[in-house]
Amino acid sequence: MSGPRNAEDRLRRLLVMLPWLMDVGEVELATVARRFEMTEAQVQRDLELVAMCGLPPFVDEMIDVFVDDGIVYVGVPRLFTRPLRLTAPEGFALLTSGRAAMELPGADPGGPLGRGLAKLAAALGEPTEGDEASPDDTAGVAVDLARPAMTDEVLEAAADAAELRVHYYSSTRDERTERAIVPRHVFAEAGNWYVVADDERSRARRTFRIDRIEAIERTGRIVPTDDPATAPEAFFLDADVPRAVVRLAPSASWVVEQYPVDEVRPLHDGWIEVTLPVASERWLSRLLIRLGPHVELVSPERAADEAAALARTILAHYTTEP
Amino acid sequence: MADRVERLTNLLALLLETPEPLTLVQITAELAGQYPEGEHARRASFERDKAALREIGVPIETEIVTGGPYAGSTRYRIDRRRYELADLDLDEDEVRALQVAVATVRSDAGKDGLWKVGGALVEMPDDDPPPLSAIVPDRPELPVIRGAVAGRASITFRYRDEARRIDPWGLLLRGGFWYVIGHDHGRGERRTFRVDRIEGRSIEVGEAGSFERPTGFDPRTAFPADPKQIGHDPADAAEAVVLIDAVRAKAIERELGGERVARRHPDGSIEVLVPSGNIDAFRSWILGLLDHAVVLGPPEVRAVVVDWLSAIAGPPPRPDGDPT
Repeated sequence: MSGPRNAEDRLRRLLVMLPWLMDVGEVELATVARRFEMTEAQVQRDLELVAMCGLPPFVDEMIDVFVDDGIVYVGVPRLFTRPLRLTAPEGFALLTSGRAAMELPGADPGGPLGRGLAKLAAALGEPTEGDEASPDDTAGVAVDLARPAMTDEVLEAAADAAELRVHYYSSTRDERTERAIVPRHVFAEAGNWYVVADDERSRARRTFRIDRIEAIERTGRIVPTDDPATAPEAFFLDADVPRAVVRLAPSASWVVEQYPVDEVRPLHDGWIEVTLPVASERWLSRLLIRLGPHVELVSPERAADEAAALARTILAHYTTEP
Repeated sequence: MADRVERLTNLLALLLETPEPLTLVQITAELAGQYPEGEHARRASFERDKAALREIGVPIETEIVTGGPYAGSTRYRIDRRRYELADLDLDEDEVRALQVAVATVRSDAGKDGLWKVGGALVEMPDDDPPPLSAIVPDRPELPVIRGAVAGRASITFRYRDEARRIDPWGLLLRGGFWYVIGHDHGRGERRTFRVDRIEGRSIEVGEAGSFERPTGFDPRTAFPADPKQIGHDPADAAEAVVLIDAVRAKAIERELGGERVARRHPDGSIEVLVPSGNIDAFRSWILGLLDHAVVLGPPEVRAVVVDWLSAIAGPPPRPDGDPT
C-alpha cells in the first residue's frame, strides 16, 4: 500500500477524505487508511496537519478533526463539507468505466449502474441552450465492446469452474488444436475478447482469444482453484516481439486500424510508413499476401521470400482444375 | 516554514471564504508568516501554489482591479458553486454499481472520481476479483475532447500532417481504439478520426456553445461501415464458390452462417457461397485464409486470385543444384 507523497497528492486526497469524515463523524483510523489507500501514519499525519490550519475567525478550529487511540473524530463541519468537483479526467474515467461495464455480459440498463450512469451523464453533460431537442444522454462518450457469441458460455464456465473441451485455432501457428481448458477470467482488450484458462495441454495458465474457439463442450468436470486469475498486464504489446517496417498505400491504411502499431510516418501521396509488432513470420507473410501491390516491405528483407513461398503454397491448390 | 500542505489548505480556505476577491498583498497579509519575505520570492511561491491548486482541479478566478488603491493588480477568489461537486443524488446501489464498474474496467483515473461521488460509500469485499474485466485504453486527449463535446466547442488539431477543425459530436471506443466523430470544417462533412493518431497531443478548444449536434446523433450508429466487411451489401448478387478445408470449416460456417454452405465433403471440408461483388474485399478475405481456402468458381474470380498470388510468388525457384 503506497500513499500520496507530494503536496498536491496529499491535498487532493484530503479534499475527498474530509467531506467523507464529516459525514461519518467517527471512524477507525484503519478504515480510513484502507479506504483511501494510505498508511495509518500518513492519514494521522495529514489529519493532524489540517487540524492546525486556521484563518481568522476560525483560528485552530477551522477543520475540527482529531485522532485519538486509533479513532478519527470530527466535530462541527465548517469548511470542505463537499468534495471538490470532478476534474475532466476523473469525470471521463468514471463515465468510460461505467459505459464499458454496461457492455459486459449481464449488464442491465435499467439496473443501478444504468441509473447511476444516467445521473452522472446528466451532471457532466452540460446541456447548452437550443439543444433541448437532442439531449445528450451519452455525455459524449460511447463504448462498444461487441463480443463473440461464445463469450457468455465461457464466462459461465469460469463462474462454475467448469472444464471445457474446445477446438482452438491459433493464427500465429496457423493450426487447430483440441484441448481441455478451465476458464478462470474473461476480459476485453484492444477490440477482442479473451479468456485466461488453465490449459491441460500445456499444463499452464494460458490466454485464448474467444473468437478463435470453434467448438465448445462441457466435460462435466468441475475444477475449483485457490488461485484467482486477472487480465494479464499489457500482454500483447510485448516489447520482445520483433518488428517489421512496411509502406502502405492509402487503400491499405486499414492495417493501422486493425493491428497494433508502434509508429506511423506520413509519406507522399497518402502513403504511410508503419512500424508494427510481428506476432509470427507466418502472420507477416499473410499480411503481405493480402496487401499485394498495396504494400512495400522495408524490413525485414527475408519476409519477402517467406511471403513468396507461402503464395506458391496457396497457388499449388489452384493447379488442378476445379 | 510550515508544511506546504498546510499553506495550500489555508490558501484554499481563504479564497473559498472571502466575500471579495483578494490581491496577493491581501492574501499574504491574511496568511501571515506562511509566505517567504521579499516580493519576488513571495510571488514565485504564490504562483506555485496557485498552479498546484489548479492542477488538482480547483477553479481559481482572477480579475484585474480597475480603480482604487489596488488598480492594475490581480485579485483572486474561488466560486464555491464552481468548486463543489454537484450533488449527483446517487443511491447506495448506484454507487456500488459504479464501484464495481471501476474495479472491472482497468483505467487510471477512476478511483479519485469514485471517492468524490461515492461520499460515504459502501465497503467492497476485496477477496474475490471479478471473473470479468475490460481494459480500456487511456489517452490524455480524451477528457479534453469529451469536455468539448459536452460544451459544444470546436476543436483544432493536426491529423495526417494537416490542420483540422471539427465540431466534435461524440467519442466512441470500438475495436480497441478511441474515435472522435464530428463535422470537419475543412471538408464540409462528417468525418471520423482516431484519437491516438492526433499529432503532437495538442488540441485547441474553441468557445463553448459554438455548434449544435444533429438531433438523435449516436456515435455507435454513425461510425462508417467497414468496406472490407464481406457480404455487407445484401443487394449484391455476385457470388463465388469457395472450398474451405476441415481446419477452418467450422469457424467459417459460423462466420457466414449455415445457409451459405453449399456442399459438405466427407473429409470435413465445405463449399460455401461468398459474395464477391466487392472484389477487393473478397480477395482480402480469402487470402487471409491462406491455403485453407480455394476459389472454385466462377473462373474470373479464380483468375483474380491466381494473378494476385502469382505476382507475389514471382518466378518459381530454381531446382536444387541448378548452376548459376
